[in-house]
Amino acid sequence: MKTFDHYDARSIDEALGLLGKHRGKARLNAGGTDLLGLLKDRVLPQYPELIVNIKTIPGLDYIEEDGERLRIGALARLCDLAGSRLLQERYGVICEAALAVAGPQIRNVATIGGNLCQDVRCWYYRYPAHLGGGMLCARKGRGPCFAVKGDNRYHAVIGAGKCFAVCPSDLAVALAALDGHMTLVSHRGERRVGVGDFFSPLRNVLEADEFVKEIDVPKASVPRLQRFLKFTLRKPIDFAVVSVAAVTEVKDGIYSDARIVIGGVAPGPFRAGKAEEELIGCEPGDAVAAQAAEAALEGARPLSKNAWKIEVARALIKRTVYR
Amino acid sequence: MTGEIFASNVESAAGDKQMSLMVNAHSYLLTVGNRPGEVDPAHTLAFTLRETLGLTGTKVSCDKGACGGCTVLMDGKAVLSCMLLTIECGGKEITTIEGLMEPKTGALDPLQQSFIDHSAFQCGFCTPGMIMSAKALLAENPSPSEEEIKEALSGNFCRCISQYQVVEAVKAVSGKKR
Ligand SMILES: Cc1cc2nc3c(=O)[nH]c(=O)nc-3n(C[C@@H](O)[C@@H](O)[C@H](O)COP(=O)(O)OP(=O)(O)OC[C@H]3O[C@@H](n4cnc5c(N)ncnc54)[C@H](O)[C@@H]3O)c2cc1C
Ligand code: SF4
Ligand code: FES
Ligand code: FES
Repeated sequence: MKTFDHYDARSIDEALGLLGKHRGKARLNAGGTDLLGLLKDRVLPQYPELIVNIKTIPGLDYIEEDGERLRIGALARLCDLAGSRLLQERYGVICEAALAVAGPQIRNVATIGGNLCQDVRCWYYRYPAHLGGGMLCARKGRGPCFAVKGDNRYHAVIGAGKCFAVCPSDLAVALAALDGHMTLVSHRGERRVGVGDFFSPLRNVLEADEFVKEIDVPKASVPRLQRFLKFTLRKPIDFAVVSVAAVTEVKDGIYSDARIVIGGVAPGPFRAGKAEEELIGCEPGDAVAAQAAEAALEGARPLSKNAWKIEVARALIKRTVYR
Repeated sequence: MTGEIFASNVESAAGDKQMSLMVNAHSYLLTVGNRPGEVDPAHTLAFTLRETLGLTGTKVSCDKGACGGCTVLMDGKAVLSCMLLTIECGGKEITTIEGLMEPKTGALDPLQQSFIDHSAFQCGFCTPGMIMSAKALLAENPSPSEEEIKEALSGNFCRCISQYQVVEAVKAVSGKKR
């Protein structure tokens, strides 16, 4: 890796000060499991001059409930999420998603904040600079989207434009199904953004001088039936081709609440409102799950080589909703 | 996770920044910089272990976090040394494959012996990583089930198909001490 300056931040304020001072040329390092890959292959259009270690900020790895919310500090590690009793009891879909990420060694260091902020895995975007030069594409601010005419078998089928890379984060899918929000702080103040709204086709909404402090889930009406399933090509550790979080409530034998979120198909976690409509008011069963799966990606516009992902999504939705 | 790091990254009398790295119960005092023998802020732990400290038991193959060949223990947990910055490892206890033998007698760890007894390797390149992942598992869960063994080793790739023997080797020492 090309060298950089390095600083152990002791507080969010200190980290914000450095981000401000270096104006886009400083990067935060949490677990580093995504960032180091980007640096090694020189993927980022601007190589950072300063790396700010945020693991040294104390007290940011909590997982707790207060009166209204489940609150998770940005530095909580994926192994902490998977092992948390509180999450296992009431927010199982978060544990399942955390456990679905990579292998144990990565989960032992990777953080929830880093998981949500990680960069896309599009193979054109990630093409290593040392192998004949990196590829400048729309996402890097210059050039076309190579996926449109190229090999787009893993790219988005819905909600994309200009850039067709999919959101690689498994946690985003689970958190969106629980109506999760992220608190972003900067010297301008704090803002709360829904996990679903954090992502957009060309980039996430995080500004270069912002810090993700906390992820929260409103406690009221957290449905009891929660499930996360993920389809990958290489089972033990791989990014999702498609993933599904289904969070439902059944009262008096019918679905009273349903939230179906699909990962791997869009620039962010895709909330399948049409599938939810199919379920609400119906009795759980194979047939209604199949209807929901059929409706989920209505309006999808696959690229030249990725229509198969819609079939995978349908099968997975059906299985996740009713098994 | 916090606190100790500051104590271990200190300035020397000459003004050089220094850090102490604890590997296999041995403390190394390293200078931060880019001259030979120093730790550059961009050095990974895998690089430092192999190239600076000469501990070449830890293997690097993908250098991208995807194969588990570089697995070491950090405060007892299995981590990937190719995805960690050395400069962020001050104050942590690192254990590599070299640290598993009994320091006084030189005897192998029973887990290492079990790998030998079960021929749980072909080319051997993935083996140190496999052993370190299994070591972390056994420390946390001395009697793992076959499923738990497979899950704990799911981040370790072998391209020679030694996995079946590896599972047998780990099973053979499960339920035993050390
Ligand atoms: C082999 C491999 C397999 C993987 N498989 C999966 C998978 O199956 N599913 C999945 O979801 N992910 C997967 N990942 C991605 C993995 O890196 C993330 O899951 C991990 O959670 C990232 O967390 P981190 O703390 O290491 O992030 P880092 O690498 O430290 O950070 C990632 C990015 O987020 C920024 N950032 C981090 N924390 C903050 C913060 N608090 N505020 C603002 N910005 C911040 C950093 O600047 C950086 O740009 C895989 C990675 C590898 C290498
Ligand atoms: S999908 Fe996005 S990241 Fe990939 S080539 Fe197109 S613009 Fe670049
Ligand atoms: S060399 Fe570190 S995971 Fe492959
Ligand atoms: S024995 Fe050759 S890679 Fe595992």
